[in-house]
Amino acid sequence: MLTFSDLARRFGRHVVLTGQSGTVAPGQLLTVLGRNGSGKSTLLRILAGLLVADRGTVEYHEDGRPLSLGERRRAVGYVAPDLSFYEDLSALENLQFFARLRGLPSTAAEEWLARVDLPPERAAGALSSGMRQRLRFAFALMARPRLLLLDEPVQNLDAVGATLVRTLLAEHLSGGGAGSGAGGGLAVVANPEPLDLGRPAESGDHVLTL
Amino acid sequence: MSSRSDFLDFLARSGAVLAKDWRTELRSRYALNSLALFAFSTLVTVSMALGPVGSSPLAQPLLPVILWLILLFAATAGLPRTFVGEEETHTAIALRLAGPPEAVFAGKLGFALSLTFALEILVVPLFLAMTDLSPKDPGLFVATLAACGFGLAAGSTLVAAMVAQARGKGTLFAVLLLPMLVPLLVMAVALTRAAVSGEPPVVEITQVLLYDGMVTIGGFLLFPAVWNP
Amino acid sequence: MKPTTLLALGAIWLSITLAIFLAFLYAPPAKNFIGESSRILFFHVPMAWVSSLAFILAGVASVRYLRTRDVRFDHQARSAVGLGLIFGVLATVTGSLWARVMWNSYWNWDPRQSSIILALTFYLAYFGFRSAVEEVEARRRLAAAYAALGLIVAPFLFYIAPRIAGFTLHPEPILNANLKVEVESRMRQVLLLSSLGFTAFFVWLHILNCRLLTLLEARDAKSLS
Repeated sequence: MLTFSDLARRFGRHVVLTGQSGTVAPGQLLTVLGRNGSGKSTLLRILAGLLVADRGTVEYHEDGRPLSLGERRRAVGYVAPDLSFYEDLSALENLQFFARLRGLPSTAAEEWLARVDLPPERAAGALSSGMRQRLRFAFALMARPRLLLLDEPVQNLDAVGATLVRTLLAEHLSGGGAGSGAGGGLAVVANPEPLDLGRPAESGDHVLTL
Repeated sequence: MSSRSDFLDFLARSGAVLAKDWRTELRSRYALNSLALFAFSTLVTVSMALGPVGSSPLAQPLLPVILWLILLFAATAGLPRTFVGEEETHTAIALRLAGPPEAVFAGKLGFALSLTFALEILVVPLFLAMTDLSPKDPGLFVATLAACGFGLAAGSTLVAAMVAQARGKGTLFAVLLLPMLVPLLVMAVALTRAAVSGEPPVVEITQVLLYDGMVTIGGFLLFPAVWNP
Repeated sequence: MKPTTLLALGAIWLSITLAIFLAFLYAPPAKNFIGESSRILFFHVPMAWVSSLAFILAGVASVRYLRTRDVRFDHQARSAVGLGLIFGVLATVTGSLWARVMWNSYWNWDPRQSSIILALTFYLAYFGFRSAVEEVEARRRLAAAYAALGLIVAPFLFYIAPRIAGFTLHPEPILNANLKVEVESRMRQVLLLSSLGFTAFFVWLHILNCRLLTLLEARDAKSLS
């Protein structure tokens, strides 16, 4: 269960968030809509624990237990344009490193690389922007997170990639996904326009427009 | 979960950071090249500038100062890369999401240590050869290089993590690092001088180890706050 | 102004004024000091003491900021570092004037002079560092970590480095390792009064400074909404 209330954030003299609130329960999807610069990325970074709000609170529970800021940061699956990888290392080496850092078996890296259909030996610096987006998904889903935070998830993706992302997200929400757990996973998706998931709007899915 | 397996887990994660840093380093050679080139050109400049004076008894008391200044400036040229690189290429975000801060710090500290020791292995024999310096107490000489090199690496790692999130990183790194390293350098010079002359040192190497210990513990305590919002 | 504040300010004014008079009229000149030069100690010692107090306070406030993330502790640290620098400069200048009389030169890299210069450089860099971090939350957090690091490094700066240099012309600090106050009793009385007066003066400045920082921040927040 993810709850955030009255989140406000400014950067210098520029106010980005002005007191947003919301709740996401297992199996639910929260879609954050808004134009460029409306604060979607800022909201997701705050939820991921990569940025702190000037005001307001974020609470996240897994199995009824509240997670600290540090625990939440390592528990979420975060996909956003600012997520980058080591350009001198291959896609596989990148994932293997992050698997070891997370204490996961290194087979997780190969498994997820195959799942997002990426050439393992290609250096991350030589990947196209669409391929980088796939690598971000492998990085985020590898740890089997309960909560997914996706910032413009289909940007730069071709039709096949976009379909893959929709499938992964639908699986995650329905509980069939890797780590979504009983009752399905949670997801917050930020996008300029509504994302067609190809599933009927579930009860509890909601939209936050910034 | 026993504390033993927790510790092994911590070591495995820190080892992953260390191995990753060396792997990227060996592909780009950025830090290695800047360290080695900086140290080598300073070494040549200094010994040429000293000329015959360098190997005369007159210069003997000054040589340890010169040696540590060379090591210090080479270190400030190469060591900040460990964190500045992560912030500049935005890989720091993935690192924050994936690893506990203590493991990241331990891995980075290990990388800075190995880089510093590599630098010493490269520079010190050359320096000794160029200046005709032969330590009368080689044991103390090596112990000094190890203990003071450790302090240099530990201080640099923490300060590098701090400046990586600021503007004007290069200058700021030196400005923040030098005042805190001065006690270490003063001790390093005193010990090196004693090792060279064979006279008893005016400072105990345990004081250097105390400095190393304090800075390392301080680093582990402060790093989570430096690293994460 | 509340009557208690007025009373406190009166006491501060009185103790400092009295200390100035007594320093010149009541205390005898110290033995082994050239002429009347020892009288500057009644100002030099409190300045050095207040400066160290301010830096320790800044370190403690910074640690508390990191634990609680309460902005007030950031204001306290910032205020204390600023005041510590001012008192530190005053301690350096008064010490240097005295050195001109005693050692015939304003500056001779005595280990005590070196360590105070290094300490001042360290804390000057604190403000340089703050201004180099754009993001407000990161600025507070990083500056706090740096000031907390000062707590670890300062003992080495003040106690180990001067010992290694092998010699110092500086008289044994009044607050020495044995905690024995080795001064003539009338001098001790004036020194105590002066130290108390300047410490209270510092506390008053510090409180005002913290309030000012809080108000400035509130004004910035208001101009935005």
